[in-house]
Amino acid sequence: MLLLDKLTVDYGGLRALSEVSFEVLQGQFVAVVGANGAGKSTLFKAISGTVRAAGGSVRLDDIDLLRVPPHERAHLGIAHVPEGRKVFSSLTVYENLELGAHAMNGRKVFKESLEFIYQMFPILAERRQQLAGTLSGGQQQMLAIGRGLAAAPRLLLLDEPSLGLAPVVADEIFDRIGQIHKERNLTILLVEQRVGEALEACDQGVLLESGHVVKVGAREDLMKGESALRTAYLGI
Amino acid sequence: MTPDTWNDIAFMLELLAQALVTGIFMGGVYALMSVGLGLIFGLMKVINFAQPDFMMLGMYGAFFCITFVGGMGFAGPFLTPLLAALVAALAVGLFGWLIHRGLMSRVLSESQGGQDAQVMMTLGLSLILQNGALLLFGANPHTIQTPLSSEAWSLDFLFFNKGKALSFGVAIALTVILQLFMTRTRTGKSMRAAADNPEAAVYMGIDVTFVHRLGFAIGIAITAAAGALIANYTPFQPYIGMDFLILMFASVVLGGLGSISGAFWGGMTIGMMQQLSTVFLPIQLQNMVVFVAFLLIVLIRPQGLFGRVSERI
Amino acid sequence: MSSPIESRGPWLPIIAVLGIGVALALLLGSEFHLNLLVLVILWMVLALSWNMISGYAALISFGHAVFFGLGAYAIVLLQLKLQLTPWLGLPLAIAIGAAAGALIGVITLRLSGVYFALAMLCYPMALIYLFEYIGLQEVTVPMHRETPLWFMQFESQRAYAFLALGLLAVTLVLSAGIERSRFGVWLRAIKQNEAAASALGIDCFRWKLLALTLSGAVGAAAGALYAEVVLVITPWSVFGVAVSAQALVLTLFGGVGTLWGPVIGAALLVPMSELLKHEFGAILPGINGVIFGVLVIAIVIFAPQGLFWRLREMMGKTAAEDPSPGERPRHAPVRGVVPAALAPRADGREVLLRVRGLRRAFGGVVAVDDASFDVVQGEILGIIGPNGAGKTTLMNLINGFIPPDGGSAELHGTEIIGQPVHRIASIGIGRTFQVARVFPKMTLFGNVAVGAIAGSRDGTWREAAWRAIDLAGLRERAGVLGSEATARDLRLMELARAAALHPKLLLVDECLAGLSTDEVEEMVAALQRLREAGTTIVIIEHTMQAMVRLADRFLVLDHGTVIADGTPREVMHNPIVLEAYLGRRFAEGLTHAAA
Repeated sequence: MLLLDKLTVDYGGLRALSEVSFEVLQGQFVAVVGANGAGKSTLFKAISGTVRAAGGSVRLDDIDLLRVPPHERAHLGIAHVPEGRKVFSSLTVYENLELGAHAMNGRKVFKESLEFIYQMFPILAERRQQLAGTLSGGQQQMLAIGRGLAAAPRLLLLDEPSLGLAPVVADEIFDRIGQIHKERNLTILLVEQRVGEALEACDQGVLLESGHVVKVGAREDLMKGESALRTAYLGI
Repeated sequence: MTPDTWNDIAFMLELLAQALVTGIFMGGVYALMSVGLGLIFGLMKVINFAQPDFMMLGMYGAFFCITFVGGMGFAGPFLTPLLAALVAALAVGLFGWLIHRGLMSRVLSESQGGQDAQVMMTLGLSLILQNGALLLFGANPHTIQTPLSSEAWSLDFLFFNKGKALSFGVAIALTVILQLFMTRTRTGKSMRAAADNPEAAVYMGIDVTFVHRLGFAIGIAITAAAGALIANYTPFQPYIGMDFLILMFASVVLGGLGSISGAFWGGMTIGMMQQLSTVFLPIQLQNMVVFVAFLLIVLIRPQGLFGRVSERI
Repeated sequence: MSSPIESRGPWLPIIAVLGIGVALALLLGSEFHLNLLVLVILWMVLALSWNMISGYAALISFGHAVFFGLGAYAIVLLQLKLQLTPWLGLPLAIAIGAAAGALIGVITLRLSGVYFALAMLCYPMALIYLFEYIGLQEVTVPMHRETPLWFMQFESQRAYAFLALGLLAVTLVLSAGIERSRFGVWLRAIKQNEAAASALGIDCFRWKLLALTLSGAVGAAAGALYAEVVLVITPWSVFGVAVSAQALVLTLFGGVGTLWGPVIGAALLVPMSELLKHEFGAILPGINGVIFGVLVIAIVIFAPQGLFWRLREMMGKTAAEDPSPGERPRHAPVRGVVPAALAPRADGREVLLRVRGLRRAFGGVVAVDDASFDVVQGEILGIIGPNGAGKTTLMNLINGFIPPDGGSAELHGTEIIGQPVHRIASIGIGRTFQVARVFPKMTLFGNVAVGAIAGSRDGTWREAAWRAIDLAGLRERAGVLGSEATARDLRLMELARAAALHPKLLLVDECLAGLSTDEVEEMVAALQRLREAGTTIVIIEHTMQAMVRLADRFLVLDHGTVIADGTPREVMHNPIVLEAYLGRRFAEGLTHAAA
């Protein structure tokens, strides 16, 4: 479904990504892991269009995303749950979810999506009239994911969902993500710093180091190569 | 206490009460024009210095509409100014749309100057609008001839000037309509989302540039409408914008840069303050009140009453 | 390729401009043209005064008329009420202008950006209404037929032209002096990156205040002379928005941040404006305002910094604004900075920085939670931890950029919590930033030079700058413009710039991210050289391969707390640390595998 071919991105004066290539098949859950500064967030920014690519291509089925203006990519069925949540803090929980359904597909099935979201994250139903800015970090993350789901996407991009969350809360989030993948058979691309959690539920893993793809493989392979992981993360 | 003192106190109270009434009426209209400015800043983070001059255009627009249809006889003394205000607002709003498209968009990116450049541009716009109006319309003050400016309903000792009451009513109605637009329609919500977090808005599929343009046009139109309403009871000339510049900014800052409802209440407060000052201060110092108020707000509590946005250093 | 140091002064062009002015004053025949010359010069002076605060220091003021008007009213009222000759009134008006600048500065300089601009607008507007209230709506300079010269009253505008030229000469020399002095360096640094300037020990408030005071003095001088020329003044004519706008537009058009901007702007626009008013003022009122507005918009689109800079660009000249203060210092250097003797590496475990109980929360989120640790003299301490652990916040707390909610930090026994950034810098703590804070319009040498100038008592800053550059290994790239430098260049520049101040302690915030392997090696070598030269280093980093070789000790932060403290070996095998970085499941997996 999603094919990255030699994607190269310059960001902040640095070469953030160098010829990154990998594939995400329909229904797969792919986790991109790597230490900070490895280029993970830049990857998502390039897919969403917040950052311009210097070379290579990103194909969603047969459309080259890099040729589509950023605000139209959402309408192609991509939902980006951004790093740091970035909920609309001055709007209510419900309004946030509604805005998630701004994309074309989302609007049609909003009622249905809403049911699923409330079932997955009951706290959002409880606080639907509350201003998003008053929610806790974990609740905001749930809202951000719910907002992504409201778009009824074909591909869900999750950018460091555990960032800034206490480990217990992060665990809960990861559980739900795994559930969502199973129940909806949704194609998910996840970027995470916490390797253990990220690799837990995924089918396939991609290890990034300084903007290069170092290893691609099934979850078991990556877990077995734990010294490679340790080197990538901790340098020893 | 002597009967004289009672009389003095009673008189003072009457004056205060009347000032309160007039203050509320005028505050409503000031609130409307400040909402226009606040909307633009909240959305685009740009201080539009030309805002008062678009208000001035609204005044002239309404004047020409009414003159064109032959005066108040067209639809009666209440409906005619209302229609004129709407038409003028739409026209000026459209003009605002074109300006954003042609001028402001050219300096959107950081390398071209970003927000500082846009502010300077509004400065240039202000010069053009003021002096252009001088060129086209002359320096003589104009007024919209309406019987309402000198008629009033009375309740005991209180006078409710009809012209001001009408303006107040329309201002409130427009504010309510704007509020509904922002909270009930998809476009309105997209606008609030884009103001809240432009990056996330793009992820939702919202075209932020379009939303900015629309917001700019609406903000301009609202302020123009406020101007068209004021024109019913105030004479105006090309530089009248200057009288309202600090007033508008004081209202927006008082309410908190970034909050539209803040701009509304800020405008009401400043309007009331101005009217109340007529009771206590000689005329030349009344104008000073707004400046002093603005300075105090900015020095003591720059984030205003409801402010969320912090000014980047 | 640019020449980083501009040693030739602007004196020749200044003399040329004055020469042209003198020639015109002598040769022009009609009173109308001479009056025009006077006006051009006076507006030029006002624009130069605006440039001093809004160009050099980037504090855009929309209310410069306040100084102009105060000067005008001062000189006239002193004549009316005290029969004081304007020859004495002029210096008094200048003093009043300076005082006003200082007073307004103390009140308003803590505002910035748009708030500052709007607040400045209020002052002249409020004075208009005040003056009208106290009855000064129209004030006329009294005639003195018996002793005209004593009261600065001349038959012809020619004399005023010479007076104005005198004022212009003084102002041009003053502007040039500012540009070429250490004061000018501070202003440029503040304008291009205020946070970086503070971190180098520059007291930003003090210098901005000085700029505004000088600006006020010059503006008042222009206003005073203006009053003597036009003879009748009203609040609107000297305090009005038109006056403030004029100062702004002339400089914006001509060029911001250089004395040539106001000169060009006034020379071109004032004659145009006055002639338009004269010829068409009756049939097309306001035409000059419209044209001014069009010009502003055009300049913003095509030459945002003004005509002068655009022309320079088009002529291929570099945009570098490197500092080159005279070899003989005119101003004292940043107070308190004493170049530390190059100390040999200390083997005794002397504590340099003692941090106890540092706390900081933002809203409900605790960013730094009771952090306590020691930094030993001569060591390289690495602060590591997952993203969002509070590392940069910790550094900002020590540096003074944000105040803590509680706790203390002592450098050699001196408490630094609560001190302003520049004071902490001059006590001996240097800082590099996660996103390099470069002065974009200076070359890399210029950037480092600002640090060297801040740290030197005498004219030896040039050598100090080159020494720092060599320490960082930046010599071949020293001539590159800041805005065009690569990440590697900028990182090395920040090291060099901070090193030029000989700090006791250097806080380094993520200088290795995104660099190639070779570049990482360069940085590591530079940091080691820095340590050898006697600076203790605390470094935040993620790039572990480099850190394990570089750091003597690690401090591991997670969710704002220190979770581990020890040698790299100890820390890297600490299960708590592994869990923080890689997640509990990974750590559990490992312990299961180990079991």
